[in-house]
Amino acid sequence: MSTATVKRRRIPGAGLLSMTAGLQRITLITGLVLVTGFVFVAVFAPLLAPYGLAQNSADGVAFVPQQGPSAEHWFGTSVRSEDVFSRVLFGARTALLVIVIAVVLSLLVGVPLGLLSGYVGRWVDRVLVLVMDAIYAFPTLLLAIVVSIVVAGGTSSSLGGMLSAAIAITVVYVPQYFRVVRNATVAVKTEPYVDAARVTGASTARIMFRHILSNVTGSLPVIITINAADAILTLAALGFLGFGIEPTQAAEWGYDLNKALNDVSNGIWWTSIFPGTAIVLVVLGMTLVGESIDETLNPLLRTRRAVTTVDEKETADD
Amino acid sequence: MSDVPAASGSLIRVRRFGWTRGGGSRQVALLRYLLIRLLLILPTAWLLVTVVFFLMRVIGDPISAAMGGRLTQDQIEQRKEAAGLNRPILTQYWEYITGFLHGDFGRTQDNQAIGDVVITYGAATFELVFWGLLVAFAIGVPLGRYAATHRDSTSDAVLRFAAVLAYAAPVFFVGMLLKLIFSVWLGWFPVGGRASTDVELALQHVSPKTNILIIDSILYGEPSYVLDVLEHAVLPAVALGLLTGGIFLRLVRVNLIQTLRSDFVEAARARGLSARVVTGRHAMRNALIPIITVMGMCIAMMLGGAVLTETTFEWKGLGYQLAEYLRARDFIAVQGIVAFIALLVAVMSFVVDAVVALIDPRVRF
Amino acid sequence: MVAAALAGCGSGRTDEAGSGAGLVVGTTDKIFSLDPAAAYDNGSLLVENQIYSYLLNFAPGDTTPKPDAAEKCEFSTPTVYTCKIKSGLKFASGNPLTAKSVKFSFDRMLKINDPHGPASLLGNLDKTEVVDDLTVAFTLKVANDQTFPTILPTQAGPIVDERVFPADKVATDDEVVQGKGYSGPYTITSYDKNKLVEYQANPDYQGILGTPKNSTVSTKYYATSDNLKLDLQNGAIDVGYRSFTPTDIDSLRADSKVKVTDGPGGELRYIVFNMNTMPGNTPEQKLAVRKALASSVDREALASAVYKNTYQPAYGYVPQGMTGAAEPLKQLYGAKPDKTLAAKFLADAGVATPVTLNLQYNPDHYGSSSSEEYAAVKSQLEASGLFKVNLQSTEWVTYQKERASDGYPMYQFGWFPDFPDADNYLSPFFGPNNFLQSHFENPGINAQLTAETTEADPAKRVELLRKIQTDLAQNFLPTLPLLSGKQVAVSKPGVSGVDQTLDGSFKFRFTVLSK
Repeated sequence: MSTATVKRRRIPGAGLLSMTAGLQRITLITGLVLVTGFVFVAVFAPLLAPYGLAQNSADGVAFVPQQGPSAEHWFGTSVRSEDVFSRVLFGARTALLVIVIAVVLSLLVGVPLGLLSGYVGRWVDRVLVLVMDAIYAFPTLLLAIVVSIVVAGGTSSSLGGMLSAAIAITVVYVPQYFRVVRNATVAVKTEPYVDAARVTGASTARIMFRHILSNVTGSLPVIITINAADAILTLAALGFLGFGIEPTQAAEWGYDLNKALNDVSNGIWWTSIFPGTAIVLVVLGMTLVGESIDETLNPLLRTRRAVTTVDEKETADD
Repeated sequence: MSDVPAASGSLIRVRRFGWTRGGGSRQVALLRYLLIRLLLILPTAWLLVTVVFFLMRVIGDPISAAMGGRLTQDQIEQRKEAAGLNRPILTQYWEYITGFLHGDFGRTQDNQAIGDVVITYGAATFELVFWGLLVAFAIGVPLGRYAATHRDSTSDAVLRFAAVLAYAAPVFFVGMLLKLIFSVWLGWFPVGGRASTDVELALQHVSPKTNILIIDSILYGEPSYVLDVLEHAVLPAVALGLLTGGIFLRLVRVNLIQTLRSDFVEAARARGLSARVVTGRHAMRNALIPIITVMGMCIAMMLGGAVLTETTFEWKGLGYQLAEYLRARDFIAVQGIVAFIALLVAVMSFVVDAVVALIDPRVRF
Repeated sequence: MVAAALAGCGSGRTDEAGSGAGLVVGTTDKIFSLDPAAAYDNGSLLVENQIYSYLLNFAPGDTTPKPDAAEKCEFSTPTVYTCKIKSGLKFASGNPLTAKSVKFSFDRMLKINDPHGPASLLGNLDKTEVVDDLTVAFTLKVANDQTFPTILPTQAGPIVDERVFPADKVATDDEVVQGKGYSGPYTITSYDKNKLVEYQANPDYQGILGTPKNSTVSTKYYATSDNLKLDLQNGAIDVGYRSFTPTDIDSLRADSKVKVTDGPGGELRYIVFNMNTMPGNTPEQKLAVRKALASSVDREALASAVYKNTYQPAYGYVPQGMTGAAEPLKQLYGAKPDKTLAAKFLADAGVATPVTLNLQYNPDHYGSSSSEEYAAVKSQLEASGLFKVNLQSTEWVTYQKERASDGYPMYQFGWFPDFPDADNYLSPFFGPNNFLQSHFENPGINAQLTAETTEADPAKRVELLRKIQTDLAQNFLPTLPLLSGKQVAVSKPGVSGVDQTLDGSFKFRFTVLSK
């Protein structure tokens, strides 16, 4: 261990930012801007939106349905006479909640299982790998229906709908986290420091979580961003297949997009383009961030060697 | 070989593949690994089918799905009883599994044999996925190579951005846009379906009927029909292929970049080989390995994503049909299709792992 | 070079399938079964209309059942309904159609009693007997059942070939197509389930629908109404029938490349009240809430703004246009929302306002515009200041399990008639052991229902039907009718005959179409 590793308090990610340059930096920044914008909109939607998410009249005057963008309705109105702009903003909340729930659940389930499987090995490993392989082939739609019925009683309530989508996504993504963590654990468990820990009498759990965990989390950020991106796409797909959230309970981009598809061939473009673009931008943001992290941290891809802080990080990681 | 460790418990007679000491034991380990993988396919599929079996029973039954809202609850209960749905679940499971092992996969609620259903609709999805993969390869590989060799240039940035964009847009949104632009406004391609009505009718009378329309139309022998089928395949293939093509592009780019920095490429360059030859002949082969690894997962993903493309473009394949059966709570049909998909994915996964294990000397087991 | 190679591979043809697809009809419905014993859905109905003949059937434009395969049918005794069959009839298989075939058809329907079949429509049939080669006698359980003749043209009535169809199990679609055990105006020449079906006119048909005006018709099945509409506008198909969204119809009406035709429809949309769990502390209060709701919904707004006039307001329990229809809710509760009247109902019963309502609907089973419909209903109810509405939606299978077990105090429901008789909107809903299972049962209403089903005099029957509806509307309001549907079909300008088949029988017949 180098004596020069004095832990200075740094903004998380600032180190990452300083490691990039040129195109990579632009990519990272664009991604971060999009993601931050998304989170900001999601948190402050009630303040930013001119109308409520299911509001279809103001001051006693009903909105005209399916009207194009205008001064009162920047993105026009939907088939239910709602303001599309407000629904897009509120949709960010729903998306953020689903992502957070899905990622947290996936991490909570996938990482420990991966650690366990990789470290313990033997039949535990074989069984878990078998189970995870089986999950790959599992149809997401069936999962969504089952979860929707078991968790939410089939109702498309706000929380129920979000939870069902999130759990369905989690189950599909756990094998990814599992595999990555397991492979990394397998590679790491033969390291001398692990032996040392075992010799000094540390319990299996302690070894797994204290020593191994921090060294296998390298690829996780990338998978998290991919997972988050996929969560929104899966939510949209479920909305398309009829498992969206009831529109007066919560705004959801996928549901709105599904409803809007019928409008498009009738010349009504604003009900689909805006939610669709919102989805694209958020997924784009997250994927760009993920790609940048990958490009920067992956030593084989890095374009230039930066300052010493990077080397220290490198030796600590490897 | 005396150094084949006895503790490895090799199940197979070892054939010597070379004179070197290292070669023999690796082959043993390889064959053993592959055999175990092969044997694990069936239990994996079985596990999945069992889980699906019990899950389907949780979410409602086909009679209520079809008759609810038109008959009284008593009448529905009577019909459920008559259909044998109220028997103990383990009895029903046992009956299903034993039938399965005899090759009887059951019948759908509307009295079609599951095997027929899987073959007919599976063929349609196979055709779609085939065209989609073709488009994905045609886009992803050459563009990925270009991006890798022109790293950090404007074109690299544009290509990567486009690839991410292709992934970010929901496939049914892309499908809708494609339909709108190329069918409705420009009129270059048909809106949907696998062939025009007349052609589809004519192709019903081909023998042997594969339901893979491009093959059927060639067998039928009418060139205008073949063109018609190809015309109808363009938009769906592009919608599905753009998504996967974007992923391939990024994969090829990343792995090519990594490979281009490796020692053997440096050695090739040092020997004076041109950049094109180095990239094309030496680096690309290595860079394609990860794509093959991902292929299994890609096929599974395409089967899943296919339901959205299939619905958007009137391409009635397995994904679309599975969604319909789920809506109708047709247990047997869903179980049958899921079993088929599970086996397919498991076999693909095995083949992919076997191929990679064979051609990549770095892979260890 | 490629073309030559391709031409060389032309050995695969089995036979020439005929000169193309003919007139093409597109639909989004799905065929469940070609065997009548297992078919009780709209998709199968479309096929049955073309290939089967019935003892009695509806001529285009007529809603009284008239002889089709039969020559004459009547009540020979109060409990026996006898039919004499035309002589010389044949199935497309070549086998003769006799009284034995008829007995076979009805017997097998009751015997097989397939869970997906329409055997429940024959609830009043005790037995079928062959009197002689061309005469059949149906013994009924309830005498003078006026609805029985109207059941013969329904999905319970197709006549099938006893030498082709199995007596104790359902025939597969392939068996039906190959066996040709049907005798209707068309035969099926090509069958790709839920993708493409081709029909050819049947020269041996001698029924009420007459000779088809076209010789070949094909049906193309669509996964989304969007694609159906686009193909129609592109000219790839000739007619589109079931189902378009209101937005589609709106823009199609404005499109000069297509023609939108509508006709009377039998679909009914309404809200069901669970008499036990709905808001209100006493039955009087609950009734007051229902009456207030009846005065607060704006049906015309729903019909025009949400459904773009593909539905019309329903002020009675039987849709307008049907014999026996009435509009009691118009007089009792107002054609337009009346806030004062609604407030009065609530105040008189001592109900505190605003009343909290939990309203449940299903997003796709009754059409994809249900969410718009109920969002509008919610707005209308809340605009009166008397109600606060929590709107919730649930997927279909859970929905109808919950609603039947007191899961929802108020919920959306719909009805598509089995046969075009007013009773089909009354007895199944309000009679004993009805399918609503909302804890509504009233002996007075039951008596009136029995009276009207057995009243032979048509004029008197109409009076009874109207009286029941007024009674229900005034004193009970077990359901709140909202809208009744129109049948809509869209066609290319050159196609004629569509308007002739969009009549009160709700059977879409290809025989009248031509281009």
